[in-house]
Amino acid sequence: MTTMNKGIQGLKGKGSQRTMLEGALVLIVIALALVIRTKLPGGELRAVSTIFMFIALSQAWNIIGGFTGYASFGQVVFFGMGGYFTAVVMLKFHFSFWLALPLAGVFAAVFAALIGQPLLKLKGHYFAIATLGVAEGMREVVINLPDLTGGGAGISVPIAGTFAKTQYLGDAGFYLLFLGLALFAVGIGTLVSRNKFGYGLRAIHQNEDAAAAVGINTVRSKVMAYSLSAFITGVVGASYVFQQVTIFPERLFDVEITVLMIMMVVIGGSGTVVGPLLGAIGLQFISEYLREHFTNVHTFILAAIIILAVILIPQGAVNYFREGRRTKDYSLLANIRRYRL
Amino acid sequence: MSTVPILETRGLGRRFGALDAVSDVSFSVNQGEILGVIGPNGAGKSTFINLVTGHIKPTSGQVLIDGKDMTGQAPWDIARAGVARTFQIVKPFNGMTVRQNIAVGIMYESHGTNRLSVALEQAEAILEEVGLGGSGDRMPGELSTADIRRLEFAKALATKPRLLLLDEVMAGLRPTEIEPSLELIRTLKARGTTVIVVEHVMKAIVAVSDRVLVLAQGKVLMQGGAHEVLADPRVIEVYLGHRYAKRQKGNA
Repeated sequence: MTTMNKGIQGLKGKGSQRTMLEGALVLIVIALALVIRTKLPGGELRAVSTIFMFIALSQAWNIIGGFTGYASFGQVVFFGMGGYFTAVVMLKFHFSFWLALPLAGVFAAVFAALIGQPLLKLKGHYFAIATLGVAEGMREVVINLPDLTGGGAGISVPIAGTFAKTQYLGDAGFYLLFLGLALFAVGIGTLVSRNKFGYGLRAIHQNEDAAAAVGINTVRSKVMAYSLSAFITGVVGASYVFQQVTIFPERLFDVEITVLMIMMVVIGGSGTVVGPLLGAIGLQFISEYLREHFTNVHTFILAAIIILAVILIPQGAVNYFREGRRTKDYSLLANIRRYRL
Repeated sequence: MSTVPILETRGLGRRFGALDAVSDVSFSVNQGEILGVIGPNGAGKSTFINLVTGHIKPTSGQVLIDGKDMTGQAPWDIARAGVARTFQIVKPFNGMTVRQNIAVGIMYESHGTNRLSVALEQAEAILEEVGLGGSGDRMPGELSTADIRRLEFAKALATKPRLLLLDEVMAGLRPTEIEPSLELIRTLKARGTTVIVVEHVMKAIVAVSDRVLVLAQGKVLMQGGAHEVLADPRVIEVYLGHRYAKRQKGNA
């Protein structure tokens, strides 16, 4: 009994130590990000902002795709709807960006709750395809409502002069905005990874019948996860629109954005917080580096790297290292055997 | 103590297409009782449990818990009413440690803690109870068959049930591994928990059941004391065929 108590105390001590360490780490990262901001030229500020944007997006996807195990292949629909909502209310109703931003998230979340009711009854590939269909369909809807959305010709957000409620933020301003969104998303991810709700989602991921049998309302939990993930995706979309000023349906509902989110989560380690974070930084960084140094073949090399990563560590980098630490076996060959497709 | 049975079914039935998997099952269990449920393969035992816990919706009849009609309610509502179950085909949460598996049930129990750290501490006692003490940090995939059955048992206990439905938790266990499970069921009974034990291991049924219900082809064949039921020619017939039953009768 005494050893057990000691063990639990040890656990607690370790827990609070870990929290302090993490807190310190976050502060260092924020400080670094703020210092970098004053040093970098505009172009590179934009590149780092894009990394922040994908950190937020990958965390959002991880909530529904990683924790809950529902691979949303149409996640970009929330990005696009949050974005278009912002453009429309800023242009037609003269909303300030700071009011449009949270409302765009709510708009996406409500939409997710509505489509989630039927869609989340589907499993596996069926859910993936259905969400993809929703995203593709919504792009067509936006194109076919030219009076409201500008249709295929695009729409522009007012950014200067008396017509604009919120002045354009500039590279340095958007850098801060996307940094804030990334921190917000990582914070939400961390919370979900350690609370009752998140454990419910992980239980649903493993086995829905068993989850329901221990009292988890699987329908409500899944819809909440989907809405939360849509909220984050929606506010990121809203910010992206303000940054880009003029937007087109093809870009805002681009399936490539979903694919990037998924790749970042899967390569980094789905169902973890650090995984999508590293995946977003790593993939975006490599992609930028290749674009600069191997302009002609950069997508080719990037694809090769992604394929190699998926073959060698299909469970994602973070899960690979965690398992390696547990089993003391870092052999890639053994890993391929364990997870072979 | 109330006289309302903790669980009562009235004409409970489920039809799959042309097949009546369970039909017209009416019975009740009182608080603190241990009810054994036996029957040959395909008798509808698992379907019956699924009907009670809401994993399958009945096509006829009613399920009453504490006298309250809970027919067709969602599994989580039944769970929160104090009914827990194990699955015949074990369903561990594979991506979590054994301790985390238990913590989920503790947090989602209606009066349970909402804090993960507290739930993880409380999980330890349940693991000790089922004989998984010291295995809290292992992953379900690393456990033996016997331990994975214990985990299934522990997951059900985590929700602090008043009524526990055990669907073959002793299947595949060695005789020496069965005894601790029986001891645990007796402990639960002493605490006032009602237990419904579905088993093929007759020794286990005889050892713990206050009463035995026999299902055959989805219907209640008979119910009564364990020894009385097992000696009944009708029961011998459904298990071993009518010729064996006749021979037994001749010998007697």
